[in-house]
Amino acid sequence: MSKKSETIGAVAVIGGGIAGVQAALDLADMGYKVYVLEKSPSIGGVMAQLDKTFPTNDCSMCILSPKLVDCARHQNIEILTNTMVEGLEGNPGNFTVKALKKPRYIDLEKCTSCGSCEAVCPVSLPNAFEYGLVKRKAIYKPFPQAIPNAYVIDKEGDGKHRGCVDCMRCVKECKSGAINHEQKAEQLSIHVGAVIIAAGSPPFDPVIKPEFGYKKYKNVLTSVEFERVLSASGPTQGKILRPSDQKHPTKVAWVHCVGSRDASVNHEYCSAMCCMYTAKEAIIAKEHASDIEPTVFYIDVRSYGKDFDKYINRAKKEHHLRYVRSRISEITEDPKTKDLIIKYEDDKGDFKEETYNLVVLSVGLCGAGERRNELMDILGFDANEFKYVRTSPDDPVVIKPGVFVAGSFLEPQAIPESVMQASAAAANAAALLKDSRGTLVKEKKYPVEKNVSAEKPRIGVFLCHCGINIGGYVDVPAVAEYVRSLPDVAFVETNVYTCSEDTQKKIVDAIKKYDLNRILVAACTPRTHEPLFQKSLRDAGLNPYLLEMTNIREQCSWVHMDEPRKATEKAKQLIAMTVAKTRFLQPIQEAEIPVLQKALVIGGGIAGMTAALSLADQGYETVLVEKESKLGGYLHKMYYTVDGLDIPRLIKQMTEKVSKHPLIKVHTSSQVKSLKGYVGSYESEIQTPTEAISFSHGVIVVAIGADEYKPHTYQYSKDSRVLTQSELEKDLSVLKKEDIRDGETFVMIQCVESRDEKRPYCSRICCMQAVKNALKIKELNPRAEVFLLYRDLMTYGFKEKFYKDAREKGVMFLQYDPEKKPELESKNGLVVKVYEPMLGELLKIPTDHLILSTGLQPNPDNPVIGKLLKVPLNEDGFFLEAHVKLRPVDFSTRGVFVAGNCHVPKFISESMYQAQAAAARAATILCKPTLKAEPNVVFVDDDLCSGCSICISVCPYNAIERVEEEINGKKVIHAKVNEGLCQGCGTCVSACPSSAIQQQGFKDKQLLPMIDEITSS
Amino acid sequence: MTQKVLKVKDNDVLGSTNEFLRHLLSSGKIQALLVPQSIPSKKVVYPVLIADPKKLHADIIAPVLPVATATVVSKITKVQPPSKPIGVVLRSCQIRALIELVKLNQASLTNIVLIGVDCPGTFPINTYAGFPEKKTPTHFIIDAITKKTNDAEQYLRSACKVCKDPIPTNADIILGFYGTDIEKEIIVEAHSEIGKDLLKDLPLEDEKEGNAREKAVKEIREEKDKKRAMFLKEKEGIKGIEKVAEFFDKCVNCHNCRQACPICYCKECLFDSSVFDAEAYKFIRRAENKGLFKMPSDALLFQLGRMNHMILSCVECGLCEQACPNTIPLMEVFIPAAENAQKEFEYHPGKDKTEKVPMIVYREDEFLEVGEK
Repeated sequence: MSKKSETIGAVAVIGGGIAGVQAALDLADMGYKVYVLEKSPSIGGVMAQLDKTFPTNDCSMCILSPKLVDCARHQNIEILTNTMVEGLEGNPGNFTVKALKKPRYIDLEKCTSCGSCEAVCPVSLPNAFEYGLVKRKAIYKPFPQAIPNAYVIDKEGDGKHRGCVDCMRCVKECKSGAINHEQKAEQLSIHVGAVIIAAGSPPFDPVIKPEFGYKKYKNVLTSVEFERVLSASGPTQGKILRPSDQKHPTKVAWVHCVGSRDASVNHEYCSAMCCMYTAKEAIIAKEHASDIEPTVFYIDVRSYGKDFDKYINRAKKEHHLRYVRSRISEITEDPKTKDLIIKYEDDKGDFKEETYNLVVLSVGLCGAGERRNELMDILGFDANEFKYVRTSPDDPVVIKPGVFVAGSFLEPQAIPESVMQASAAAANAAALLKDSRGTLVKEKKYPVEKNVSAEKPRIGVFLCHCGINIGGYVDVPAVAEYVRSLPDVAFVETNVYTCSEDTQKKIVDAIKKYDLNRILVAACTPRTHEPLFQKSLRDAGLNPYLLEMTNIREQCSWVHMDEPRKATEKAKQLIAMTVAKTRFLQPIQEAEIPVLQKALVIGGGIAGMTAALSLADQGYETVLVEKESKLGGYLHKMYYTVDGLDIPRLIKQMTEKVSKHPLIKVHTSSQVKSLKGYVGSYESEIQTPTEAISFSHGVIVVAIGADEYKPHTYQYSKDSRVLTQSELEKDLSVLKKEDIRDGETFVMIQCVESRDEKRPYCSRICCMQAVKNALKIKELNPRAEVFLLYRDLMTYGFKEKFYKDAREKGVMFLQYDPEKKPELESKNGLVVKVYEPMLGELLKIPTDHLILSTGLQPNPDNPVIGKLLKVPLNEDGFFLEAHVKLRPVDFSTRGVFVAGNCHVPKFISESMYQAQAAAARAATILCKPTLKAEPNVVFVDDDLCSGCSICISVCPYNAIERVEEEINGKKVIHAKVNEGLCQGCGTCVSACPSSAIQQQGFKDKQLLPMIDEITSS
Repeated sequence: MTQKVLKVKDNDVLGSTNEFLRHLLSSGKIQALLVPQSIPSKKVVYPVLIADPKKLHADIIAPVLPVATATVVSKITKVQPPSKPIGVVLRSCQIRALIELVKLNQASLTNIVLIGVDCPGTFPINTYAGFPEKKTPTHFIIDAITKKTNDAEQYLRSACKVCKDPIPTNADIILGFYGTDIEKEIIVEAHSEIGKDLLKDLPLEDEKEGNAREKAVKEIREEKDKKRAMFLKEKEGIKGIEKVAEFFDKCVNCHNCRQACPICYCKECLFDSSVFDAEAYKFIRRAENKGLFKMPSDALLFQLGRMNHMILSCVECGLCEQACPNTIPLMEVFIPAAENAQKEFEYHPGKDKTEKVPMIVYREDEFLEVGEK
């Protein structure tokens, strides 16, 4: 008898951008059926259109594409493209989503994405993916890595241009009979337990701001268009050419805040990501063509995120971006040269004019997209004044029970925040549907693995053009010809994109048809693409570790663009080396690790409490350990927020929920003393005030917070009139109207001992804290004077409105130059001296109070906890996640997750959704009875091992021990590896003088032939 | 430290030291003694493990070191150390090697009583076996010590000529030949609690006043340091891959050096394994590339690989050179290499068993000149 559940174990995710994809993958991995409803013909969203991503300059498509393919291949995910949501009925746990699936006119099962239809199509339309910078046909594939990987017919056109003319040439041309012009729209009723809205937010269209000349002058582009110009697969193949004459521009200007922070278009919010992508676009442009002289016209540089400040500093110092603080009044065109003249007012109030070859408008996001409004109406959501969906700050991703939100549908934001919210939304959905987990999913079945270990190698080689990324510089057919001559190579094929879904089918077919038993993919990096190809091997019945990859892109074509002939030779040699290794590949069977369905959360602040609650609500036993005597952490130093959160009440509510939850065990005044084991099977010892407790658990969430930095300057701690923002907040929370007299003056200085050489990071929260306290002062007595001395006011997103509010209430905002920091005179009264550029003179402000915004400093326990959990810290001392964009709560060490201020300073709601995200990611492990261990573990050859223990000393994971064993009646001492703990770093392998320790997949017998190959050829 | 004196009867140095060792073995406090003792042919002395005091006829002065005694101690103690103390008589270089092996978990000092002897140096095995002088090598050496002549110098192994330190350190008991007239008295020092305990009941006399021993030790150390410094200066020229390759010209890849080395502790040398085996076409391709290809191809790689593995722990005993069938003067390369490499890591092999081998030590500030700054 199956368990009767009242909820439906399925979730509808509306929108297939990065947020939707992340939410879908998390839920599918947790054991829920997921429907992704995407209005366009491919998932991928805006991230698919970006060239690179800040602050790591990773190729956007390269890190996204594996996730899209994962989505397409996931047994539990059904992708519905061309699908519009039309209604939502039912109750939490049991909804019906009504949707209209528009016809694609292509049978997805049959389309091989060969492109022959496109070649014969006579209709030409602007290519929307390329923002109309080039044309496409009426039958088209949205972009090379599109998922589903199939063509689509545009019958409607775009209003100005006609779509398909029904000439039927494509039907004749299509060999697989995939085209069906008669396809009809379908009405879908999808039964789900929860809904996640991740429908995104369109970029601002600057046409309505005529002063910028967009669409009027050809050489004014938006930043999203410029992303395509930068992209190797874009309209100019990555060459920077301006539209008017296809000539290479040298003087290029970026204009910040187009359509953001702008009352005239009712966008009085900051779009949160533009400052950073502008710097990125300018840096990448310079990398493409070093003669480009980039200028950035800006108001503030909002580098509030992790490592953002360092990125901006590098942009200025190393890449010589010129930053001009200004307001632009007009952009006009020189009709002869088509150059653009920018008129602006600089920070001294002077009007200036400069001429540029190309202008890029850094456009923000626009809440008022047409489709968004429709969705909001259909689903009956409450919108805020910016036409974005409204959620509560202490429940940030919940729109209403059972309906959750993630990504820029909620607020303009960058990728990591979207990804965190997506996982958080998944956690909320999983909590609601915990009783029906696993009821609607299928287990992915792979064919039985063929034992090929004793077979003579028959290597299949797949060479990738990567569009023009490789093919534009390396003569791929010539390389293929050469590779055919290499020993044991039985099959060679070249692909436009080896990572595309149709190529995966080709790989599987080739393995079967040609009886291949080792596979080599010569393409890009295994870091992003290895799992994809490994799955293809499994689909074909081969052990996934019979795959090798050669990187002929990052390590060849990209770095030798100027020398195509030599690049071709190098590609041949790289592949020959890898063939030499591939011949010796052997199957690897990963160990199975049992998973204990219990979590340890370290830190009982808002992040820790939220993570514990989320895990427990999903049905997992959780132990919460807090060092202090009470839960709440940094919240105890906060009293109110601008968005109306009552902090003492929040602490009380959360503490009660956590303490009363039957699945949560709280230990206050306690610390983790020791930790052994690995993902799935940890063994911890906790020191409580009374005893030491040991227990086992499967995952760990670190949320140990941060604390306000105590300054050493401005007479702090020497003069009682000088306070930090938190100290002021405490005072203000108890003051009454009459406590502040008319004219009582407060001077606030931002970035005190912060964003400098010693603490080169922005703490993200202090500007808002200052604005909050300034507003509080004004609320208590509007006649009090508040001066706020700042460098860049980091009121990103909707926080901008409070900045505006403060200005309107008379708070004086004065920007200072970090080279000319404000100074304090404190002989009798306090006098702050600050250089004001507009006036060009030193202002002296007598004041009653001096308030210092110092930001947060990392918890001094971070290094200790980091060492205990074997997870890294960044240069500033905060925990360093696995990938800043796409894995913002994971560590590289499996089973350990991070949330809250110990990751980087952040606001309460941000900590909360990050904590829920950490809980979701942890749950993807906890929901499984067993896990597969790292495949590339090391093993010891007992015959060679002398037991010297050098390996033990160098192992960062304590994965090796020295054992004495009786073998055939003889006592033998040797090293022994714990496969669960081994992370496959290989440090021991290089340290072992006897070569007695070898790594799976990197054995001497596999690597030495590579060296032999390259040195002997 | 307590210092005593062993009276030598009738100028019979060996007789008296053997008497001393027999007393030690008979005391019941140690169950066996590892001593250098002649094999029946008398041609050479080997480390011999003695359980019966009557069978003890050691020659602790014999100027020959056929095998690394440290390796022998490793053999005895590695799998399981003795349950009751055993005494081992070692030269200073072998104590240093043993300390390195202990750090590398290849030997144990549990229940090992280290009896160090002052080392006047050793001769190559063949010199010792067919000694050209009228006296036995041992008596020749005793004469040289007593008369303070340089007569033995001509026969010493090159490593011994420039010995790092002929006076043992880290021993429980030291038998000192310098700073005394050894035909009359031998100095016996106890440097540990167990050493003191063992000497307690033995027929020894208290040391007389004076600092003759101290002075003599200082002198001999200074003399050796001077010689070693000169040697290092002389051999400065062997630098660069071409000169090093030329230096190893006569290496036939027999790997005897690694067999003799007390630090080379691998069960099987990588260069003896099949890792470098390859198909014929690869050898032929190499020949085709340059027109010729010298075989065996990995002799130099072996020498440099071995050096890379052991040089930081090299105690300069010179047994590798003694083992070389083609008389490659290995110390001319290994002593300078050891000196420089150990200086870079501020490492002192054999000095202190708590000093970690550099391989397992990570210092953030080391080698800042290499790589990123």
